[in-house]
Amino acid sequence: MASDEKWGIANVYSSFNNTIITVTDITGAETITQWSGGKVVRADRQESSPFAAMAAATRVAEDVKEKGFVGLHIKVRAPGGNGSRSPGPGAQATIRALARAGIKIGKIEDITPIPHDGTGRPGGKRGRRQ
Amino acid sequence: MPETDYIKVPQDRVGVIIGTNGKVKKAIEKETETRLEIDSNDGIVTIIPKENMEDPLGGWNANHIVKAIGRGFNPEKAIKLTDDDIYLEIIKLPLIIGKSKKALARHKGRIIGKDGKTREIIVDMAEVDMAIYGKTVSFIGKLENIMIAKEAVKMILNGSRHKTVYNFLEQKQNELKVKEFESVVGINNDEIEFKDDIELDIKK
Repeated sequence: MASDEKWGIANVYSSFNNTIITVTDITGAETITQWSGGKVVRADRQESSPFAAMAAATRVAEDVKEKGFVGLHIKVRAPGGNGSRSPGPGAQATIRALARAGIKIGKIEDITPIPHDGTGRPGGKRGRRQ
Repeated sequence: MPETDYIKVPQDRVGVIIGTNGKVKKAIEKETETRLEIDSNDGIVTIIPKENMEDPLGGWNANHIVKAIGRGFNPEKAIKLTDDDIYLEIIKLPLIIGKSKKALARHKGRIIGKDGKTREIIVDMAEVDMAIYGKTVSFIGKLENIMIAKEAVKMILNGSRHKTVYNFLEQKQNELKVKEFESVVGINNDEIEFKDDIELDIKK
């Protein structure tokens, strides 16, 4: 990797309800751009769909190219904690769309927070009741 | 800039990942554009993506395939994970039922059922692939199907009768059928509507 190439980090939070893409510089302290599924589609239930993620990712690619970034490292995150530990449907679509938009993809990492025994699961002793 | 990835798999699944004469290993390497290095002594699989790969998700997919085989799937089913719509979901049993070995054996037995009957019904009705191995239950399939199968297994673990679970599966199966029918006929087409100033220009 040539030293004059500018790289950033794309933090992709992908749940079953939405996909949020936040691009920061390589230190992670300075946000470059932020897009989400909810920013592109009208209906709430489509926020997490792969198409919404794709549309958001193409916007991200445009913004990032304008700022002079060549490639992005990807950090994928699912809700974690007591929730789902596997990323939703938007994660793969995001990475594909970024690559297709001509951005170099570096390291792909899963940074889902896993508790070292955290708080109790919701539901209580007798489970969830209606 | 590709990065290497490490996964640990159980001793007795190492042979499956390699396959007879390295057949399975070669198939995975070809499908995902990666190179696998397998240490058969301690079961550590190293995934090295090739330089200049076409698909940036190669390493990601290889990771999931190796993980699936390590969790008890046979290679033909695990290789389906290269498809974009197919996902892998792993339920860790100790998180739900506790650490007791007796409880683990009992719950695994309940999920499998007499002569594998319950497992067969879950696989048939939810249209997923299922593996019960060690302390985990894993599924491979489409996301909505996995959610159904997962819910069914959670019901069994929480002490529901098998009959209740079968009824639940049947109900969900009917719902899926109705949904499919509606999308084919075009009553309820899920067209994605984008906000005003946004146009999707993706070249497929």
